[in-house]
Amino acid sequence: MTDRQPDRRVFLQGLSALSAISAMSLANPLAAQSPSEAEAARQTAPATDKTPIRLGIIGPGSRGQELVRSFLRVPGVKITAAADVYPARFAQLNHVCGYEVPSHHDFRALLDRKDLDAVVIATPLGLHGQHVLPALESGHHVYGEKTLAYTVEDAQKIVAATAEHKRIFQIGHQYRYSPWIRAAIARVQQGEIGEVTHISGYWHRNNDWRRPVPDPSLERLINWRLYREWSLGLIAELGSHHMDIANWVFGATPIAAIASGSIASYHDGRETDDNVQVVLSYPEGRRFIFTSMTNNSKMGDQLWLYGTKGSLNLTLEDATFFYEPRRIAPAAPDANGVTTSASYRPGGEMPYRGPGKPVEITTAEDPTTVATRAFIHCVRTGTQPIATAQVGLGSALGVINAHAARMAHKEIAIQT
Amino acid sequence: MEKSLKRAYRLLLLGAVAACTCVVQAAPPQQRFHQVHRAMGTEFTIDLYTSDEQTASQIAGEAFDEVDRIEALLSNYLPTSELSRISREAATGPVTTDPETFAFLDRSLHWSRESNGAFDITVGPLLRAWGFYFHGGRIPSEAELAALRSHLGWSNIALDPANRTVHFLNGQPMDLDPGSIGKGFAIDRVAALLRQQGISSAFLSAGGSTLYAIGAPPGQAGWPVNVPDPAHPGSTVSTILLKDQSLSTGACTEKFFIQNGHRYCHIFNPLTMRPVEGMLQTSVIDPSATDSDALSTVGFVLTPEASTRFFADRPNTRVLLLAQNSGCLAIHWPGNPCNQPSSQSSQDHPHD
Repeated sequence: MTDRQPDRRVFLQGLSALSAISAMSLANPLAAQSPSEAEAARQTAPATDKTPIRLGIIGPGSRGQELVRSFLRVPGVKITAAADVYPARFAQLNHVCGYEVPSHHDFRALLDRKDLDAVVIATPLGLHGQHVLPALESGHHVYGEKTLAYTVEDAQKIVAATAEHKRIFQIGHQYRYSPWIRAAIARVQQGEIGEVTHISGYWHRNNDWRRPVPDPSLERLINWRLYREWSLGLIAELGSHHMDIANWVFGATPIAAIASGSIASYHDGRETDDNVQVVLSYPEGRRFIFTSMTNNSKMGDQLWLYGTKGSLNLTLEDATFFYEPRRIAPAAPDANGVTTSASYRPGGEMPYRGPGKPVEITTAEDPTTVATRAFIHCVRTGTQPIATAQVGLGSALGVINAHAARMAHKEIAIQT
Repeated sequence: MEKSLKRAYRLLLLGAVAACTCVVQAAPPQQRFHQVHRAMGTEFTIDLYTSDEQTASQIAGEAFDEVDRIEALLSNYLPTSELSRISREAATGPVTTDPETFAFLDRSLHWSRESNGAFDITVGPLLRAWGFYFHGGRIPSEAELAALRSHLGWSNIALDPANRTVHFLNGQPMDLDPGSIGKGFAIDRVAALLRQQGISSAFLSAGGSTLYAIGAPPGQAGWPVNVPDPAHPGSTVSTILLKDQSLSTGACTEKFFIQNGHRYCHIFNPLTMRPVEGMLQTSVIDPSATDSDALSTVGFVLTPEASTRFFADRPNTRVLLLAQNSGCLAIHWPGNPCNQPSSQSSQDHPHD
C-alpha cells in the first residue's frame, strides 16, 4: 500500500487540490470523504451550465441504461459512444437515448476515442478493475458503478490511479446524494440521537434475482450476479450501499468482518447466496449488521441507526426519527401528592409502534438523478466529488472482507 | 479483460449455435400464469402463457419492475419522480429531461392540442382543490378556482425538442398529473418489454381501466373483454375479443363523491374547472395504450357531438360513449352495441 503512494513532495508540487485529497485518502480511506455542505450544495444544485459534455458508457445493461436516463437529464450531456460484449444492449441504449450511439465491441476502442469528456462504467463487478483502471490511465474522468472493485488490491489501485492521473472518479453510491439522507445524517452528526453505536441494514426482496435469458448460453453473461466469477452476490450488489452509509455515519471503515449465507430457496445452479448475514466491526465496539434475503420482502430496503437518545430510519423515500424515553428529567415538587394505583405496565419492552418524526426537506429528488448531475458538475469544474474513489474503497473493504469471511467461515480482520 | 471478452464472445457464439438447434425442436406446451402487483395507486395484473412457472415468474417480475420504474418516473405523489422535478423547477427556466419523459410530455401535449384542451395533464391543482387526492371530496369556492387558473393550462408548457427541455411559460410551478395517461404509458412499455422477451400471448391490466392484449390465448381469436353497462350494474354492453390492441375505460363509477344528492366525478373538464357532468363511461380501443388512456378522457370530456367530429377521421380508434339517460354513442366500435339490448351483446373482432 505505502509503496504505491506517490512521492509526497513531488505530489504536492505538481497536483491540484483534487489529486492531493485523493492521495491523502489512499492512506486513510475516509480522510477526505466529506466535502463541506456548501460544496455539496453546489454539486447537487439544479444545473444551469449547458456546456456540451460527451459521455462514453461501458456496459449499458439495465443499470447502465438507468444511469444514461439520469445523465440525459443534465443540460449539455450527450452519450457519444458505448461498449459492450452483448450486442443486444446497443439497440436498447439507442432507444433510451433517442438516437444512434456509436458502438464498440471492445471497450479499449471506446477508451481510444478522443471525443469523450468522461466515461461511465456499469459492467459486472468482477470486471471493474479491468475497465476502470485503463479508463483512468487513458485520461478519462470516470463515473463507476459500485462496488468499487472485486479485490482490495484493485480498489486501492483505482484510488491511486485517480490521484496519479489527476482524474475525477465518482463511485455509484448515490445515497450519499439523497437529500433526505444527507439532511438526516447531518442531524445525527450533530447529536440528535446521541451516540450511534449500532446500525442495522435490511435489504429483503421476494424474487429470485434472475433475469430472463434469451438463450441458455447467455446465462452467465446476463445473470452474472449469481456467479462468483464476476459477482460477490448480495453483500456487494445490495450491502455495499448500506456499508457506505455505515462508514459515513461512523466516520470510519470496518476493522473486522464476519458473515454467513446460504442458498435457502433457489436451488437453480446459482453460486452466490440467496440470503446473507454480515456483521462489520468498527472502532470503539460499534457494529453494522446487514441482512439480505430474497424470499420475503416484509422488511424491504431500510436502515436503522440506533443511538443512545433515539433511532433513525432511512428508506429509499424518506427518513424518520424516533426518540428514546428520557431516562431522567427535572421535576417540580407535587403539592397534591401521588395517587396510588394497582396498574402494571409491561410496555417498556414492547416495540414502539407509534409514528416517528419525519425529516422535512424542501426538495426530495431521486438520488441517482442528483448523483449523475453532481458528477457532471465535477467534470465541468474540476471539483472533488462527494462520493470519491476513497469512499468507494471504504465500502469495498466491507464488501470484499465480508465475502471472504463468508467463504472462510470465520471472522476476518480488515487491513486498511 | 481480454480473456473475459473472449469468453463472452464464445458464449455469444454458442448462443447462436444453440438458437439454430432450437429451431428444429418441438416447442414445449404453453401454460397460463397470473400475477398481481400494486402500483400507481391501483392493481396491475398480468396473464401470460409460457412453458414453465419459473420463466413466467421471471418475466412477470421484469414486467412489474418496469411498471415500478415508470411510476418512479411519472408519479405526482412521489416528490422524487422526474415529473415532480419538472413540476417544481420548470417555472424558473427550461428543465432538461430524459428522452422518455420528454416523449411522455410530448404525447400528452399532442392530445391536449388535438382535443383543444379537453385532455390536460395540468389539472392536478383542480383534483387537489376538489379533494380527490385525499379521498374526501369537497366543493371549492369560485374564488379558490379563480386563484388556480394561472397554475393550469397545457398551453403554458413549452417543449423544446432540440434541447429536450420543458419550460412553464406562466412562470408558475405546476402540478402535472399523469392520471389520465400514465397507466397507459406504463402498459405500453411493459408490452414492448414482453415482446422483446419473446412473449406472444399475454394480457395486461392497470386496475381494469387500461387493458392490453398481446396476441391471443392459444387456439383463440383474442382475449375476451366485457364492457359493463354503467346504467345497469351487472350487465354487459359489449364483449370484445382484444388482440394486439389496448382498451381503456374512463368512468365515474369508482372515483366520485356525493354532496347534497349530486355526484361529482373525478374526471374534469379543464376549461370549466369542474367535474364532467352527464357522462357515465367511455371506452376506447386503440393500438396504443397511452393513446387509448388519454382518449378515454377526451371522449369523456367532449360533448357527444364534439366526440363524433373528433373521432370521425380516426378510424383505428374505436369509441363507445355511455351517458346518463341511456345515451349511447358508438364511433367505429365493432358491432352495434347502442341498438342492442345489453343482454344480447355479440363478440366482435376489432383487430380484423
